[in-house]
Amino acid sequence: MDSGSLTIAGEDVAAVQPPNRSGSTAARASAGAGRTLRTILADRKLALPSIVLLVLVLFAIFGPIIWNHSPDTQNLINSLESPSLSHPLGTDQLGRDVLARVADGARISLLVATLITVAGAIVGGLIGLLAGTIGGASDGVVMRIMDAILAFPPLILAMAVTVGFGIGLDTAAIGVALVSVPWYARLLRSEALRIRSLPFIEAAHAMGATRRRIITRHVVPHMLPVLFIQMAAALGYAVIALAGLSFIGLGAQVPTPEWGAMMTEGLSYSLTGQWWISICPGVALLITVTAVSMLSDRMRDLMDPRGHYARL
Amino acid sequence: MARVIGLRLLGSIGAVFGATILAFVIMRLLPGNPARLILGPLATQHAVSSLSQEIGLDKPIYVQYWRYISDFFQGNWGYSYSDGESVRQLIGERAPATIELAIYSFAFTILAAVGLALASTYRHRPITDRIVRGASYLGFGTPPFFLALLLLIVFFKTFHLLPGPEGRLGVEATPPPAVTRMYTVDALLAGQLGTFWEAFEHLILPSLALGISSFSFLVRLLRANLLEVSREPFITVARGKGLRRWTAFRRHALPNAFLPTLTAGGLVLGEFLAGSVLIERVFNWPGVGSLVFDAIVKQDYAIVQTFILLSAVMFVLVNLVVDLLYAVIDPRVRIPSVASA
Repeated sequence: MDSGSLTIAGEDVAAVQPPNRSGSTAARASAGAGRTLRTILADRKLALPSIVLLVLVLFAIFGPIIWNHSPDTQNLINSLESPSLSHPLGTDQLGRDVLARVADGARISLLVATLITVAGAIVGGLIGLLAGTIGGASDGVVMRIMDAILAFPPLILAMAVTVGFGIGLDTAAIGVALVSVPWYARLLRSEALRIRSLPFIEAAHAMGATRRRIITRHVVPHMLPVLFIQMAAALGYAVIALAGLSFIGLGAQVPTPEWGAMMTEGLSYSLTGQWWISICPGVALLITVTAVSMLSDRMRDLMDPRGHYARL
Repeated sequence: MARVIGLRLLGSIGAVFGATILAFVIMRLLPGNPARLILGPLATQHAVSSLSQEIGLDKPIYVQYWRYISDFFQGNWGYSYSDGESVRQLIGERAPATIELAIYSFAFTILAAVGLALASTYRHRPITDRIVRGASYLGFGTPPFFLALLLLIVFFKTFHLLPGPEGRLGVEATPPPAVTRMYTVDALLAGQLGTFWEAFEHLILPSLALGISSFSFLVRLLRANLLEVSREPFITVARGKGLRRWTAFRRHALPNAFLPTLTAGGLVLGEFLAGSVLIERVFNWPGVGSLVFDAIVKQDYAIVQTFILLSAVMFVLVNLVVDLLYAVIDPRVRIPSVASA
């Protein structure tokens, strides 16, 4: 890890530098990408989850194209078949191919969870940035609203929003995203406050930079590493929360092949021997969330100067 | 000290206030007229409008809000839309099952977390440490409802070691005489060891599944804290003056490492509240969680709303208690300049 941390430290600096607008950046960018790739591959704890996630994304994109079974085609004669060559993950109670459904579910889970994470990061990040840079009364009011959201246990609030807006995958996604907003807002507010007090901001101010320029060119780039770490952690939460909501019937509705919804559909068959209907989407979920949380943990170790976890 | 407690109390009241507003707004967002939902689709328009008047739906919004929170804190939680029963009674009947499950789950979680964190740090053996860390990762990535299913398939379906998803007792068993309505406690009070054992067997799998996320969270936290504390000079001093390793750990490292873990108490409760809805569904556990699940399916929002607001209030209260405990235990928190920073 010693040599890895050095390179990453270098990359960390590169990441927080404001984007370079001058020409001839293409060659430099590709060299940078190559170096980043090498750094990732050299660090086993970074490489393993990255590769697993890459495989999952490829599975989500190409799986439904290559595996030409429709996730919705019912075939009652072949229902509840155990895994075989023609159906590697078996068929469910309506004779639908479980592999096709898991692959389709990967699309839904990864896509919706990514959207949730990005939406939460944008909304919460802006709130935190404005609260931290503008301050004053708006800061107090906004942060109290964030506290009110944090007063709910996370999944319960997502349930509340879903029930309030009407049950469905889209409202469940809104609920999960809303839960994550205060995380970003609080984190980025304190980051903004911290960065604002650093000497180079004072220097920029003394040089006559406008407030807008200071915020966009100096404060925001310095907040990005922390933001990305938080996003990676929130992504895992989004995947699991979405599946949980679908599992209790608040998220995706039948016949959508969402992983949580598939598990709940196959629940009663699990104890009569047809385990694959529920277990296959569950394993997919497990792999996704574990990989994401490993990745976010490693990123935190490497990038967050305050997060030096005790390690032997 | 009084100032710290006062500020914290004010903060909690603010959070509960915010939570009630949020819950109220969400309730108002619900499609349709609550009066119509209570009376059902067959009621006449006249009946609906007279009920709306009776429950104050024609009043200004702030009057409605006031009525909503004063009813809530007085325990008037309304009536179930689907069968007209009092929501408070419904939740009260189901609560002991959920509380019993939560207590066992909490006990298992703490025992396992402390044990494994100790095992991974006590002697610096990289292999145990690696296994413990791997387990905590896996636990973090395992959705509790998935673990529940796996446990059932392994311990019930395959090896027949533990009872299946049949609730709190076997089909033929009779519940012990009701005192606390927690079956293991009541069975012991009545001296029915057989019933106690049966209730306990039924509790094992659900409480393991319910505790998984909190467990992996606590293990990681505790392990990191133990490592940090074990490098402190006072541990070196303790060992240097001749204390055995175990004594130094028990008397000096563990209490200090446990402090930050206290804060996780609120998080654990949040996990248990939400988890109960998911886990009770898998195990057919007749608790509040499955009541809420059934209510969601039947679109009986009176129950769901009460559960949501109740969870928020309990969550805030537990976090408050934890913070106050923290102030009592840790002298550093009592200094206002540190506390308000």
